[in-house]
Amino acid sequence: MENLISAVETYSQGGALLMPLLLLCALLLTVTGLGNLLAPRPFMPRWSGRLLQLTAVLMLLGFLGMIWFHWQIAQHAVLELPEQLAAMLNQQLEAMNRGATYGIPLYDPQSPPRYLIPPWIEYQRYYFWFFCFALMALLVHRRLDNQRFRGSLYLLLAAQLVVLYVWADPFREPLPRFFAEITPWFTAPSAWEQLGMFMQLYPRLEFYYTASYMWFHPPLLFISYACITIFFAVSLLMLIRRELEVERVGYDYAKFGYFLLTLGMLLGYPWALKAWGPNWWWDPKVSSSIMLWAIFSTYLHTRIYANKKGMWYFSAALGLLCFVAMIFTFVASYIFPGEHSL
Amino acid sequence: MEAKGSSSYDYKLILATTAVLGIISVICVAAMFYFKAAAIHELPAAAQWAYMNTMNGIMAPFIIALILLLGICVPKRLLPERWLNRFTVALLAAALVTFLAVGGHPALLLILFASLALQLVVLGMALAGSASLNFESKNYWVRLGSSLVHLGLILFVLDLYFHNYHTLHLVLFWVTTGAVVLGMLFCFYAEQVAGLVRRYWPARG
Repeated sequence: MENLISAVETYSQGGALLMPLLLLCALLLTVTGLGNLLAPRPFMPRWSGRLLQLTAVLMLLGFLGMIWFHWQIAQHAVLELPEQLAAMLNQQLEAMNRGATYGIPLYDPQSPPRYLIPPWIEYQRYYFWFFCFALMALLVHRRLDNQRFRGSLYLLLAAQLVVLYVWADPFREPLPRFFAEITPWFTAPSAWEQLGMFMQLYPRLEFYYTASYMWFHPPLLFISYACITIFFAVSLLMLIRRELEVERVGYDYAKFGYFLLTLGMLLGYPWALKAWGPNWWWDPKVSSSIMLWAIFSTYLHTRIYANKKGMWYFSAALGLLCFVAMIFTFVASYIFPGEHSL
Repeated sequence: MEAKGSSSYDYKLILATTAVLGIISVICVAAMFYFKAAAIHELPAAAQWAYMNTMNGIMAPFIIALILLLGICVPKRLLPERWLNRFTVALLAAALVTFLAVGGHPALLLILFASLALQLVVLGMALAGSASLNFESKNYWVRLGSSLVHLGLILFVLDLYFHNYHTLHLVLFWVTTGAVVLGMLFCFYAEQVAGLVRRYWPARG
């Protein structure tokens, strides 16, 4: 536990240095974003590009810090029990597994279960999502020299950094739910107490924290969300003026985002069967995901005819709706009850 | 991007598909609020199943419409337009008769299996590089990808019927996933795929 506490302190201290810097970047990005949107000529183009690069580098450092922190957790958060309890524990696990579609591996004293968790749980999911957006904004910035488009990307990234700093700082109080769950394990007065806790912690560790799908389903969706955010900026500009180069960039990101969204949603299906059983179809999160996918599909269909009168704007409106649907789908986990609620 | 006349049959199909997808979205949002208001998650398992069956029943006509619209895209590639309308009406009539005779599930299954059979034929023809298919694109990989995506969607809906057959359900699910993923890659990144194939398999590229 001491090692874990030390890792938490180091991680939080690093974050305490990083987050104000990112907030400063957000303020500067706001200035340059507004400048590029409102000024008749590109506003400090070279300096803006450097600022975007700096922001992406800072976010990368933060993400590397998260990976380091999760490695520390994997090293020190281990559900280890005395060997003499293993046989009794495995009897209980075998009884649990009997008749279950998906069993839990038996306890191996030589290799006790440990928390090897991906760096996109709790508030970290926002960080990962916004970091993906920062990288995409950087790629788009290099690909297309369009003042208004760049300005809108700066503003969107600034808004995301402010959200991170104010509401979703992953460093301030690291992984509160996770630590609330596992702290009693380390403070338990006896191995017998731990044995009781093990039966609560272990299924969640297997089906959630260290599930193989955890490495694919969430990140694919967050990367697709970042693509949708790029495509949202494009859709806004499409409503203002017809610029084919910008629209093409938006379509490229829409295609990539749609592919990842579809794959991510599909990979959530067997995970849900494994973790929740069969009674989850039409759960609010599932409904909202289908809604998002359907709206995204309509965009891809209408985009084929974007040159027709009115379809350009209809396509752009669907792009905006897609972004709103994405936010709604994400927030659904917080405001709607169900298996996926947070 | 294409520029076509508003009377274009394909354009009308796109608009119809958009409308059906829009209705599906609205139903999904309504379902979310109903779920919350009725506190479905707190009900016993039997009531939860009843809710799921009700939702399936509400959604079924629109899934049928979507499958039919996609199904039209399937024979569209095999048949001339005048036969296309006859085929669609015939399939719809057969589904309606089945629905009245034995219920909604068999009717949907009939449409799914008919669409699946046609799609498999189209996939085979696309795979063989048949010139008699009426695809929008002449690109081999786009044709193959489009066929795979449509096949995947039909298989996914079909797969939901087999959720009680654990092994079959999962096998079919992974086949669906494979078809959709490959189809999207071929459709969206046809040039890159063609480049890769040319590089490693010059005879095919």
